[in-house]
This record gives sequence, structure tokens and C-alpha cells, in this order.
Amino acid sequence: MSAPPDRRRVQLFVTCVVDQLFPDVGESVVKVLSALGADVEFDTDQTCCAQPAFNSGFWDDARPVARRLLGQLDPSKPVIVPSGSCAAMIRNYYRELFADDPVNLSRVNRLRPHIYEFTEYLHEFFDLDMISRLLSDSPSKDGVAFHEACHTKRELGVDAQPKALIDMMPGVRRVNLPQAEVCCGFGGTFSIKYPDISGAMLSDKLDCIEASGANVVAACDSSCLMHIHGGLRRRGSAVRTKHVAELLAERLKQPA
Amino acid sequence: MQPRTTQFRQNSASALADERIQRNLAGLYSGFHSARIDASSATADWESLRARGHEIKSHVIENLDYYLNTLADSVERAGGHVFFAKDAEDASSYVVEVASKRGIDLVIKSKSMLSEEMGLNERLEAEGMEPVETDLGEYIIQLAGDTPFHIIAPAIHKSREEVSDLFTERLGAPRYEDIEDLTKEARRQLRQKFLAAGMGISGANFLVAETGTVALVTNEGNGRMVTSMPKVHIAIAGMEKVVPSIEDLAMFLRLLIRSATGQMLSSYVTAVTGPRLHDEEDGPEEFHLVIVDNGRSRILADEHLRESLLCLRCGACMNACPVYRKVGGHAYGWVYPGPIGAIVSPMLTGLSDGKDLPYASTLCGACKEACPVKIDMPRMLLYLRKELTQGDSYPEHRSADAAERLAVKGWRASASSDAAMRATNLAARLGQALLSRGGEISKMPGPLSGWTDHREFPRAQKPFRSRWPLGDDAARRPRDER
Amino acid sequence: MSQRDAFLSRISGALGRDRPPQLPPSAPPYSVGPPDEIAERAALVTDMMKRNADNLFATLAHVAESAGWNVARVPDPRAAGKRILEIAKDLEARLGVFSPHPIVRAALRADPFAGSGIELLPVALGLDESESPQRGRERLRAAMAVADLGITGVDYAIAETGTCVIIPKAGVSRLVSLLPPVHVALVERGQTLPSLDELFTLRRNDFMQGETRSYMNLITGPSRTADIEYTIVTGVHGPGEVHMILVG
Repeated sequence: MSAPPDRRRVQLFVTCVVDQLFPDVGESVVKVLSALGADVEFDTDQTCCAQPAFNSGFWDDARPVARRLLGQLDPSKPVIVPSGSCAAMIRNYYRELFADDPVNLSRVNRLRPHIYEFTEYLHEFFDLDMISRLLSDSPSKDGVAFHEACHTKRELGVDAQPKALIDMMPGVRRVNLPQAEVCCGFGGTFSIKYPDISGAMLSDKLDCIEASGANVVAACDSSCLMHIHGGLRRRGSAVRTKHVAELLAERLKQPA
Repeated sequence: MQPRTTQFRQNSASALADERIQRNLAGLYSGFHSARIDASSATADWESLRARGHEIKSHVIENLDYYLNTLADSVERAGGHVFFAKDAEDASSYVVEVASKRGIDLVIKSKSMLSEEMGLNERLEAEGMEPVETDLGEYIIQLAGDTPFHIIAPAIHKSREEVSDLFTERLGAPRYEDIEDLTKEARRQLRQKFLAAGMGISGANFLVAETGTVALVTNEGNGRMVTSMPKVHIAIAGMEKVVPSIEDLAMFLRLLIRSATGQMLSSYVTAVTGPRLHDEEDGPEEFHLVIVDNGRSRILADEHLRESLLCLRCGACMNACPVYRKVGGHAYGWVYPGPIGAIVSPMLTGLSDGKDLPYASTLCGACKEACPVKIDMPRMLLYLRKELTQGDSYPEHRSADAAERLAVKGWRASASSDAAMRATNLAARLGQALLSRGGEISKMPGPLSGWTDHREFPRAQKPFRSRWPLGDDAARRPRDER
Repeated sequence: MSQRDAFLSRISGALGRDRPPQLPPSAPPYSVGPPDEIAERAALVTDMMKRNADNLFATLAHVAESAGWNVARVPDPRAAGKRILEIAKDLEARLGVFSPHPIVRAALRADPFAGSGIELLPVALGLDESESPQRGRERLRAAMAVADLGITGVDYAIAETGTCVIIPKAGVSRLVSLLPPVHVALVERGQTLPSLDELFTLRRNDFMQGETRSYMNLITGPSRTADIEYTIVTGVHGPGEVHMILVG
């Protein structure tokens, strides 16, 4: 048995969506982790978890991209992923992808327990009080609706963690979001293959968000938020979307 | 039933455009779906029941040859006849043969999705017989010449006005406004048929191998009529319906019924073991069990899909599925809609014809969460997508289109290195300058135009990789610096 | 090769073997208990049914009510007979049919219907030895089809679900509880099982003892449907009104 790994030394898998479209989310994750004293490593050579090709059935195309990431992640340190769906891809579906490749499969199995969705990691290694002490009252008073992103909740079992974090944020009131557990209709390539079905699902989701009275809708997955954000803007809604990491980061006390 | 799985796109589009269907579908969430959640939370050890149900059904499916053999012996010991039908044609012919031999022309039926699969009514009609559906929903569907919209509530897409029109037109009934009056009219019409029919055809919810018992779950009482009144009873069942012993029924009835309608138990559960015994007051003189394959052995032979044969046909995955709740049952183009239908319908009717079905899911996992026997539907949908695209199990069914292949090659190239990601980002930022000045993009070209029909497209930003390392003053950096 | 052998060998082939095994390769997982302990299990159930009779009766009354039964509790069979008469009078019934279960006979022994103008007909073959079974069935079915209510005993009741269990046999028709628009079921103290599990344990034990019957009905409330617009309507094909009389 090797020595227990140092949980404060973490690797960031930022995900392609956050890298390209929501880099502020990545920054927020790093800020929060740094404020907690974690030492964040980031390998700029990383690209994508391969979920888009995998979910579309192109496993032969997904494999080299997944293998690349697998080689970059160190199976002795926590990997922080600010997206439930990408974390689930690595944790749950790399086994399917590499089912016939024993060498990579064993690497997947060593890595799996070290894959953490961002709020899951916070919850497992820091107590809420410690996080709470880092936060100051935010100037804005937010009513936050939490969207229970499907893969975050059902694939990773992460649901109580982000809710607890939101509930302890100063100046934040978590509002009841009807049908919070229902998919927003994104589904990756589903929203491109079936834009109208996806759009109808999105429309229901937006109705629920608007009915909740929230001014912010938060989640642990930037992809769902991208979808919801696109729908809210199209409606001209004033409700904004934020990753839970952003909500935390914007409430961090400025270093003295 | 003639498969129309090729028409998923058209059929889902017309369902989306139909306000009445959308209204009826919206009722599923507050109706069956919520009722299931309430009933399962009112059941002690629900999660261990699910796990046990999965285990027992898996065991049966892995040993299906043994259990079918045992079942057939048990039915025969109880005085029943067993017929093993390779396909729909085989099964229908057997039913016709039994009816002809006894000179029967009026046949009453309780709800059976397998019968829809077989097209049994059409076949009986072609032979000059009169098959009458007696489940209210199925009766409505039969009168309308329609197909089931949902496996538990086949006519749930029809409004009371439509049913009223149908009854007036087809039965000469007065125009009723009230659902209760419509139901009474059906009772009157069908009571005559129950009293006169020579044969009753039922489905089967469970087949008990040890005793040869057929268990039926119903609410209206038509299942009891069909199995008690006529002199011949034929039960038709998919071969996957077996459970080992009658003691397993308690658990499976809880799992099935609470997941289907949210009742603690349905109004009636009927256990039929052979024909009536000589000293019994009433019941059929003849009992036949028809066990049907009709493509199921194809599913059984595929280890990745075998799990779909655990299905109890409760409909919970449909009610839980946000895609089903938008497109409804007809869009899937065959008897079994929703997540489980997206797996079994293509496998039973032709994989490449049904190629759009495995993609008709966001993989949100609500189906797996709802399934009383924990069938991992998302995993199987992913597997079928792979088989349709690059798999080796059904090479003749591969059917990814060229544009999609090209898009994937593009994705793969962009995800091949840091430099490629930076180049893609740069190209996107140059491109979006042409599509919008700041803010989101309201109109995307080509395959992404569907996306922007409903939502704005996000703008690529200066990527995280180019901001790294963030530096010590990361926390103080103005948030919107690009 | 017979139809059956051909079918089974296709199934065996799909599972990667030549023919069905004589025994399953692994013992089947069970939901209640192992098959070789069935007699002990059944004995425990019978014992519990007697020992907990009062509690089970009370739970049954409560659960049955929420399952849609009209529940009444009476001290003895004689009072049950009176209760049946009240129900029949409320219905303005002209003809009632009954299964001559011992408890139903006991309830009707004092002839509560005398002078009521309501006719009561037992549904059982062989009461008139000159009548053929064929003719008897036709006559009784015709009566049941026009009867205003059907009265039965039960074999068991189930507290978990508010269910009556009727196992048809000589003197117990399948149809008395089905064809008339109203069903009255008499349940005796000591007949209530805690849950579905115990019912099927007893039935499996019966089977092992060679006591088989062709039919069993579990009845839980009235006949109902929600097939039009999710609206619940009772009395579709079976009784729309059901009464459970707890006796003792």
C-alpha cells in the first residue's frame, strides 16, 4: 500500500466547455480552492473527456481522446472537475469505453476514486464552517434556484453537497425550484440532433425557473447552465445563470 | 402492429405541435409519475425490493431455457396446453386454430401489449372472427382504429369529447359529456360481449414456473371476465415473463403495481392455474398458454442488452422520461415507447429502421432511477448508439451519416492537443465576430441552426488555458476582463 | 424436433449452451425464504394469523377503507346478516346472490331477509340433484347477471393492502363477486394476513401439499379505471360499490 495521498494537492480537469466558453468558472474554482489552502495543478495540454463522441456512439473516436486525458491525470491526487457530467464520464463510463483494454481499464479503476465534482470535493475534505469563514457578505442579495443537473445528481449522487454550500452563503436565499430534478433538455448532442424536443423541454424548465422567483439559477454543470442561459436570454429574462463555484468565489473575502 | 420507427422525427414533430397532446402529456408528471414516487416511499425497504427484483429476474433470464421448460411442465400438469411460438405469425395462427376448432367467432380480450405486437386483432378479423378489446382504453383505441399511446393507459391522448364522438359514431350512443356516462356506456356494450363470447384472450403479467400460474393485474374487472366467462381461455405471454415461485409474486406485484399506477395493489390480481377443476363452479373448460419469442431471443443473445428482458412493463420509465413527456407514445412508432421502447422496439423490429430511437434521450437517467427492477437503460442506449455507429455486433445496421462523421472527425482533431484547442478557440472567436457583435449568438449556420431556433448560442471566450497560471492576484482581477 | 424443443434450443443457444440444464446452475435467489423451509414458514404464518388476529383486523379495517371498501365491523354472524339486509335495502335490491361459504350461511341462518321482498339465491351446483351441471351453470349465470348484489365469504384478507382473497372451489363461484354491481364480503376474525408475502407462502405450501385450485382472486376495492383523461371512475366491468363486513 502506498502512503495516503495529500488531499490538498489537487489537479484541475477544467473541461472543454469551461475552458472555451466559461473560463470564469475555472477561475472561480481555482480561487476557492486556493483560498482553502489547496495547491492546484493544471496541465494546459488537457482537452476533453470525450463525452460528445462517446454519447454519439463514436467510441473509436472517443477512445484516443479519453486515453490522452487518462495519461495526463495522476491517479494519486484528487482530480477536481467543475462539471458533473464530465466527472461522471470519467468515473462511470470510461469503464465501458475501455472494457476490452485491460491496461487502460486498470488505470481507470485506479483513477475513479480520485475523481471529484467540485462541490463534492469541498464537502469531503473541508467542513462547512471553514468554508463559511472565508466568505463575506456579498453586496448582492440573491434568490438562488438550484438546478439538479442530471448527471451530477443521478450519476454521481451529488445533490446535498451543493445545496448545503448554497444554504450557508451569506446574502443568499435558496428558493424552491419546481421540477428541479427534471432534465433541462440539453443532453449534449441531443440538443443538436433534436433541437425542437430539446427546446420544448427547455421551455418547461424556464417556466419553472421563472415561477420560482429566483434571480439566479445555479448548478454544478456549465453545460446545463449554457443551455438554460441561452434560453433565458432568448426570452429576455433577467434571471442569470451561475456555477456554484462562481457564487462562492464572488463571496470570498479579499485577502488582507 | 406495423412498425413506423423510421418516422420518429416526423411523428415527434407533430406531437410537439399538438396542443391537446401536450396538455395530456403534462398530466403524466403530476399523475402517474408522482403517484409512483408516493407509493414507493410508502413501501418499507423499497430499495432492497428493487435490488432483489433485479437479482431474481436476472437469474431467470440467465436460465430462461430451464425456467420455460419447468413452466411448460407445470402448466401441463395443471391440465393446460402450452404452445411455444417462434414469432407473431406462429402465435396468431395457433389462436386462430383453437378458435376455429371450437367454432368460436366472438373473442373477448383483456389488455395485452403482446397482442398489439402480434397484430392479433387484424388476424382474427381476417379469419372472419370478432375480437373485442375490453379494457376501456384499448376499447377506445380499437373503435378509433388507433394504436396505444402508453402501455398502461393506451388512450390517454384522447379527450372526453373525442371519446364521446367515437361512441356516437361507432356505437350509436347518445352524446355524453361526462366521463362517468361514457364509462357506463362501455360497460353496457361490453357486458353483452362478455356473456356471449366463446373465447377469452388475456396477456400475462407474470408466469410462475413452479406452479404454472399466470398472474394478471387489472383494475376494471375485464381481466376476471375474460378468464372466467368463456369456455376457452388463451393467455399469451412474452417469454421473459417468468418468475421462479409463487412466493416471488408478493414482491413483484408490489414493484409492478406501485411503479405503474402508484396503487398499493390494483383492484384485482388474478392467478390462473390451468382450466377449471371438475368440482369447481365455473371457469373455462380449456386453458392454453402461448409463449412468444418474436425477436426476444435476439435480445437474449446480446449480453449487453439482455438486461432489457427484466422489464415488468410498468410504464414508470415513460412517465419519468422528459422526452416521452414531450413526444408521447406514438412518436416511437411501435408498441413499446419511452426509454425501454427505444431499446426493445429497434431490436424487435429492425435496428437500422429504429436508429433514431436510441438517440431520443438526453441520458438524464430518470428512467433508471424509476425502474422497479433497476434496468440500466442509459447504458443500453449508449451501447445501441455505438452499435449503430461503429459497433461489431450488427454491422449490417450501421447507419451514421456522413455529416455526423465529419463533425466527429473535426471534434477529434480539435481535442488532439493544446495547440489544437487554442486554434479552435481562435477560429470560433473570429467566426462569431461575423455572427454577432458582443453578446450571445442568435443565429447559427448549418447543423447548429436548430439550436438557435430556441436559444442563444454562447460566445467563445479567451480560454482558461490562456489565462493559466492565474497569478497571485487572481482573486483581485476584475471579473469581466477578457 | 417438437415445437417446444426447437424453441427451447434456440433459447439455450442464445445463452451459449446446447440444451436446457436439468437444474439451474446456481440456486435461485428467493424473495421470502428457501423452498425447503416452506412448511415451517407456513406454520409460522398460520400461528401469527391467530395470535395477532385483533391487531390485524384493526389494520385491515383502516387500510380497506382507504382502498375504497365500505367497512363495517359487527360482533357476530347474526349482526352481519342484519348489516347485509341494510345494504340490500339501501340499494332497493330485488335479487341477491351468495356463495354458500360457512360464514355467509351463518349470517343468513336466522333468515334476516324474511318478509323483505328481496330474493336470495345460493350460487352452487348440485343443490338440486335433478339439474345437470351444464344447465345449472346457465341458470346461475343468468341470475348473477341480473342480481343487484353478490355476497361472499373470503379465504383470507390482507392488512397491508386492504385486500380480500377468494379462492373459487365447490360452492365458491368466480362470478358472485364480479357480475353484480355491488359486492359484500364477509371477513372473519383470524382470517387476516399481515401482507402479500404470507398469502403466497401459504399458497405455495398448499401447492407443495398437492392442494391446488385453478383460480385465485385478490380484490382490493371497487372496479375502476382512469383511462379517459386520468379521471377515476368506479364500476367499469366489476362492482362499483364494495362492502367489507368484519365479523367477530
